[in-house]
Amino acid sequence: MSSTQPEQDHIPTSKVQRASKFIGAGAKVGGNYIKHYAKKMVNPSLSKEELHASNAEDIYASLSELKGSALKVAQMMSMDKNLLPRAYQDKFTMAQYSAPPLSYPLVVRTFQKAFGVAPEVLFDTFTTSAVNAASIGQVHQATKNGQTFAVKVQYPGVADSVTSDLRMVKPFAHRLLNMNEKEINHYMEEVEEKLLEETDYKLEVQRSTEISQACHHIPHLNFPTYYPALSSARIITMDWLEGDHLKEWLQTNPSQEDRNKIGQALWDFYHHQVHLLKKVHADPHPGNFIVQQGVTLGVIDFGCVKVIPEDFYRGYFSLIKKDSLLNETQLNQIFFDLDFISSLDSPEEQAYFKGVFKEMIALLGKPFHAATFDFADDAYFSQIFALGDRVARDKMFRNSRQARGSRHGLFINRTYFGLYSLLNQLKAHITTTKPEWLQ
Amino acid sequence: MENTDFNAGQPGDTRKRIVQAFVEHVLQTGRPPASVFKFAQDLGISEEEFYRYFTSFQGVKSDVWDQIFDETFAMMHAQEVYQSYSAKEKLLSFYYTWVEVLKKHRSYLLALYEGHPNLHKITPQEVRSFREKFKEFAKGLIQEGKAEGEIVDRKYISDKYDDALWLKTLFLFQFWLKDTSVSFEKTDVAIEKTVTLAFDLIGRTALDSFVDLAKFLYQSK
Repeated sequence: MSSTQPEQDHIPTSKVQRASKFIGAGAKVGGNYIKHYAKKMVNPSLSKEELHASNAEDIYASLSELKGSALKVAQMMSMDKNLLPRAYQDKFTMAQYSAPPLSYPLVVRTFQKAFGVAPEVLFDTFTTSAVNAASIGQVHQATKNGQTFAVKVQYPGVADSVTSDLRMVKPFAHRLLNMNEKEINHYMEEVEEKLLEETDYKLEVQRSTEISQACHHIPHLNFPTYYPALSSARIITMDWLEGDHLKEWLQTNPSQEDRNKIGQALWDFYHHQVHLLKKVHADPHPGNFIVQQGVTLGVIDFGCVKVIPEDFYRGYFSLIKKDSLLNETQLNQIFFDLDFISSLDSPEEQAYFKGVFKEMIALLGKPFHAATFDFADDAYFSQIFALGDRVARDKMFRNSRQARGSRHGLFINRTYFGLYSLLNQLKAHITTTKPEWLQ
Repeated sequence: MENTDFNAGQPGDTRKRIVQAFVEHVLQTGRPPASVFKFAQDLGISEEEFYRYFTSFQGVKSDVWDQIFDETFAMMHAQEVYQSYSAKEKLLSFYYTWVEVLKKHRSYLLALYEGHPNLHKITPQEVRSFREKFKEFAKGLIQEGKAEGEIVDRKYISDKYDDALWLKTLFLFQFWLKDTSVSFEKTDVAIEKTVTLAFDLIGRTALDSFVDLAKFLYQSK
C-alpha cells in the first residue's frame, strides 16, 4: 500500500473540503447499492458480501485521504471486528499501517517551532522522508552518537479538526455499524475525548514512560526509552526498535513455541495493566507491536490509554466470574450499574437484553474460565462474529431508545477484542490469568 | 530606540536609523507618522536629509519588506538540507521560513495591514523590491523544476508562473494576518495545501496528455 501511494502534501482541512470527501464516498456507496440491486436483478444469487466489499473500498479510499481523526475512526472500526462485516474488516485493517506522508519542510518547521533548530542539528542523521506513517503523524528515523531513534511528528491542525471530523463520520458509522443515533453519540463522545488526548504528545510521553516502567518486569516484553528532552507537544523521540511488525513476523512462519511466547507476553502485559495499573494501552492493533530477535515483543505506541474507573472495574470484571457464582440480584445490579439495562426499559426489554448480554459475557469470558486457552480455535471466533452480527442486525437493539453499556466499556471492549484478535492471529496457546479477587 | 546615536555620521547609519525609528513609531502609535517633517524632527535630522535616503514613507516600508526577504533568504539557505530539496520543497521551505520571520514583525505588520480587505492595499511600491526578489527566486525554482521535470513547460502560460506564485504569496500573507490558531498552525496547513495545488497545476496533468493526444491526432490526419 505504502509503496503505491503518492506523497500527499496536504490534509484537506477546511470543513467544506472534508465534507466533500465524505459526500464523495457517500455518493459512491449509494452508487454501489444501485449497482448491487441492478446486478441482483440479473443474477439473484449475488451475495451481500460483494456489496460490502465495494462499499468498504470506496469508504476507505475517502477516509485514508482525510488522515487525522477520520482515519482513526476507520482504525477503530477495524478494531471492533465483531461489529463489522468481514469485507469491511480487511480493508480497514490497512488503515492501521500507512497513510501518505507530509513534506519534509513542514517537518523542519515543526522542529523549529518546538526546539528552535532543524532536525539535523539535534541528530546526526535524520531521514527526509517518513519511514512509517502513524494515524495522526509520521515516523522518521534518526541517529545520534551511534544510537538510533524513532521520531514521531504530528500533522499540524489535527487537534483542531478532531471534533468536526467526528461529526462527519457519524452518518457513516450509522450506515456501516447499524447503530442508532443515540448509540453513536454515546460512542463518539468517548472517542472524541480519547482522540484529543492522543494529539497531546506530551501526555503520551508521560504515560508511555509510566506504563513501560510499571511493566518492565514482564518476560519477553520490551519498551523503547522515551526522551522527554527531545519531545514536544508535536514530536516524540524514542528508541528505534529493530524488528518486524507483528503481521510481517507471522508471515515468516514462526514456531508454535515462539508464537506462544509472544502471545503470553501480550496476555501478561494486558493483565498487569488492567488489573494492577487500572490504566490500559487501549489500542492493541498489530501496527503497535514489533517482534524482535530472541522473540521479544516491543510495544511502540501509547497514544490511546484508557484509565479504568474503580467502580466500573469492579462491576465489569465481576461478570467474568462463572455464571453459577453470581446470583440473579447481583447480576441485575451490575447490569444496571453498567447501563446495560435501565429503569426506562419495559420488563420484556429487560429480560431480552439481559439474555443477550449474558450470552455475550459467557462467550467473551470463556478464555478466563480455564487455566489455559487455545486462541487458535477459529470456531470460538466465528461464534463471536456470529453473535456480533446478530446483535448488529437485531431489531430490538436498533430500535432501542438508548445506548447500551457504559461508555467506559467501549474502550475496554475494544481492548479485549483487539487482544483476542491478535492472539487469534498468533494462534497462541495461553495460560490465562485472573486477578486474585476473582479466583 | 534607546540606542539612537545622534552623532553617527555614516550614511548607512542614518538610513538604518530612519527605518528603525519608523518601525518604532508604528509599533508605539499603531500608525505611520503623520508627516515626513514631524518624523524627521523627532529623529533629529532635517527633512532634507530624510529625502536623501527615501522619497516617501513608502520607501521606508519597502525597506522593511526588503529586510524580511533577505532574512528569510539567508535563514533558508543556512539550512544544510535546503540544497537537496526539490523545487517544490524549496518553495515550501521559503514560505515556512518566511512566516517565521514575519512573526518577529507581526505587530508592525498588523498595525499597517490589518483590516484591509484586499491585497491591493499593499501598494506595489511598498513591496516592489520584495516582489522583484521573490520573483527572481521563483524564476530560479521554475527553471529548476522544468529541468527536473517537476514543472511542465507550456507555451505562453509558463512565463506567467512567477506572477501566479507572487499572488499566492500575497494570499498567504493575508491568511497569516488573520490567523489566530495556536502558533499559526493553520497558516502551515495553508502553505502545504496551496503549494501542493500550485505544483499539481504546473506539473504534468491530464490536460497536457490530452493536448498531446489532440496534437498527435491532428498531425497524423
